[in-house]
Amino acid sequence: MAMRQTPLTCSGHTRPVVDLAFSGITPYGYFLISACKDGKPMLRQGDTGDWIGTFLGHKGAVWGATLNNEATKAATAAADFTAKVWDAVTGDEVLTLAHKHIVKSVNFTQDSSCLLTGGNDKIIRIYDLNQPEAEPQEITGHTSAIKKALWCNNDTQILSAADDKTVRLWDRNSTEVVKQLSFDMSVSSMEYIPDGEVLVITYGKTIAFYNALSLDMIKTVDAPASIHSASLHPDKDFFVAGGDDFKLYKFDYGTKEELESYKGHFGPVHCVRFSPDGELYASGSEDGTLRLWQTAVGKTYGLWKCVLPEELVSENSDTIYCTPAAPEIKA
Amino acid sequence: MSTLVTVLRLPRGPDPNGRGFDPNSPRFVALCPTTISASTETGTDSVEIGEEQRARSALRESFLRTLIAMTNKQVQFHMYERVKVEAKFGASDIDVLNFQVSELQTPIGVQKEALLRCQDVISYSFDL
Repeated sequence: MAMRQTPLTCSGHTRPVVDLAFSGITPYGYFLISACKDGKPMLRQGDTGDWIGTFLGHKGAVWGATLNNEATKAATAAADFTAKVWDAVTGDEVLTLAHKHIVKSVNFTQDSSCLLTGGNDKIIRIYDLNQPEAEPQEITGHTSAIKKALWCNNDTQILSAADDKTVRLWDRNSTEVVKQLSFDMSVSSMEYIPDGEVLVITYGKTIAFYNALSLDMIKTVDAPASIHSASLHPDKDFFVAGGDDFKLYKFDYGTKEELESYKGHFGPVHCVRFSPDGELYASGSEDGTLRLWQTAVGKTYGLWKCVLPEELVSENSDTIYCTPAAPEIKA
Repeated sequence: MSTLVTVLRLPRGPDPNGRGFDPNSPRFVALCPTTISASTETGTDSVEIGEEQRARSALRESFLRTLIAMTNKQVQFHMYERVKVEAKFGASDIDVLNFQVSELQTPIGVQKEALLRCQDVISYSFDL
């Protein structure tokens, strides 16, 4: 029987956490940004969950947040009809991009030169961050609010998921639809893995994996509960998912077998993402917390330390609490 | 025997007194040597940066002194949507995000105590 897991709980938000994103691996480690309905997105150190700063300026719930690879810039999408670009080192607001409706999704290109936005006005916009005054390029076609818009295929194409129950692949230059997927229900989340060109889509209780270039389906896996978000491990051996029943599920990607489920959150899980090194995954919930979970439970990493029973009787007084293999601890 | 997993400490939470982004952190020091976004272009030499920093310090100091001078005075605020209100200025918060004012005269009445969101203010003026 596998070990129970004590997640690291990151508190600070006062409302549900609806989106989160990791940066790439930088010389200073990797970072995590969380979008929250309290309007105050936060930046944290990725491997410890330590708070670094709060981006102050939005006047409404923040629905989407992202970091560029180097974690030098952040972008957020909010219910105040704006997307904002921030300096992720100083916390200063750099740019406010006015929209005509709630903005839900923001995504940088690999070189951070362009920002993709999407939201309730059903239009995908491309902003050139070197010419912020210029009008954005617009891509129309969706017939309902856009949930997520992501760059793919080396930033030459765009993937978008909307409440019109479609996922569409667009060519950036022609702004035309290249391919489209239709579902029976709204897609709840989408993750794009550039290495291997895999697209992870969740809807209902299903986690589906597609080839991001052809939109051919690779496989689908059903979970015990309605899933809001899923993430594939960088090595493509596991994926994790979370949703309505407050639990985090871990599956074997190859065999589709459910390996583990973890309790911890006190509300539905809205977002889950693996860290860029795959050593942990972060989940954001309706309960207002972010929790960091170990991929390999029992490994020494970040704030987790693997302790052999003999070591416990030594004068190591740093440890706060331990998780034995038996009853779970209620926070 | 099974191994146990312990936690060295809990993740640090937000500082209630500020918005973070510690200017003394190694990352901040390395990536923002001048902390001035205007002067990070290559080719700017240290003399120019020094002069710019002096100018910025002087401006910041006079701004902070105006906040002190404004305390308990009647101030007129020009805000977005053609809003003009007058109030007695109390204080600003540390990040200059909100101004605490009293007896705020609005078109729909006088508000005894109020917070004005600074990003909504275009300009303000008062008599010394």
